[in-house]
Amino acid sequence: MEAPQYVAARIQQAMAEDARTHELGIHVDVRGDQLFLRGQVSGNDQRVRLGEVAHEVAPDLKMHNEIKVVVVNEPGEDEHLD
Amino acid sequence: MSTLTEVRIAAVGDIHLGEDVRGEYRKRLEGIEERADVLMLAGDLTRHGTLEEGRVVADELRDLPVPVVAVLGNHDYHSDLQHEIAGELRDAGVMVLDDDGVVIECGGTKLGVVGGKGFGGGFAGKCASEFGEREIKDFVAHTRYIAESWKLALKETQADRRVVLSHYSPIKETLEGEPLEIYPFLGSYLLAEAVDTAGADLILHGHAHKGTEKGLTPGGIRVRNVALPVLGKAYAVYCLECGE
Ligand SMILES: [Fe+2]
Ligand SMILES: [Fe+2]
Repeated sequence: MEAPQYVAARIQQAMAEDARTHELGIHVDVRGDQLFLRGQVSGNDQRVRLGEVAHEVAPDLKMHNEIKVVVVNEPGEDEHLD
Repeated sequence: MSTLTEVRIAAVGDIHLGEDVRGEYRKRLEGIEERADVLMLAGDLTRHGTLEEGRVVADELRDLPVPVVAVLGNHDYHSDLQHEIAGELRDAGVMVLDDDGVVIECGGTKLGVVGGKGFGGGFAGKCASEFGEREIKDFVAHTRYIAESWKLALKETQADRRVVLSHYSPIKETLEGEPLEIYPFLGSYLLAEAVDTAGADLILHGHAHKGTEKGLTPGGIRVRNVALPVLGKAYAVYCLECGE
């Protein structure tokens, strides 16, 4: 059986290189037959696409897509640089 | 309120826009003229650097009531369409820096902005050097060339206040939170060295989504990582004093 670190690395590489996603900052963990995706993206579609790409690379793993969609909040307090 | 004694700089990077979020970021820019005098974008405006995404970004920024200055990031280079994307942005009224500078009038103050994408290489003591394989030498030489260009542009920029706008980081403090192993791909101390030599009031960068907002160059210039995931809001506002 392939070491989980290599599976995780392949998933991460696929998410970075696949034209549907090109996402570099996603954390991938493989524990037994479980796959965990963590990180932040700018929209829900991207979150879903990342799940698809990961699933294609490792279809036998049970995926937990814990990627968060960044909510762009109102600008807050100013910082005064003196 | 009549005499401006400070320049208010709104800044954000890594907005990574695409067709599916068209119109959303624009909503967050409503009322920006009440909060800031200028908007600066620190690169990674798109996800894959396609022209379609470039057009979404251009549309989001078109005809804003404050001047907009931008640099591109590595994502905006991915499809080899960086010049076309910059063209779309310029058509929408955005000033796009490419290792050069502009001077903007803000109230009575001349604000100089110098910068570009920047590049990696790592930080003093733990960095790549121009030695060995051609590929490594090219990598380091690219950063060196950029740093030299910024130094020159800063020296040539006649302004009351000067800001450096980059995508890659000039220091490692603002990378805190990122894995140490990838620091050399997140920035280079050569950028900080160049700016420390030529002088500036503030350096803005993005790229390190998991990094930290605030840091300082060895020469004492304030550095702010304005990557959207770091800020957790549409943009930050930094006020530079422009007293008599
Ligand atoms: Fe980014
Ligand atoms: Fe980036």
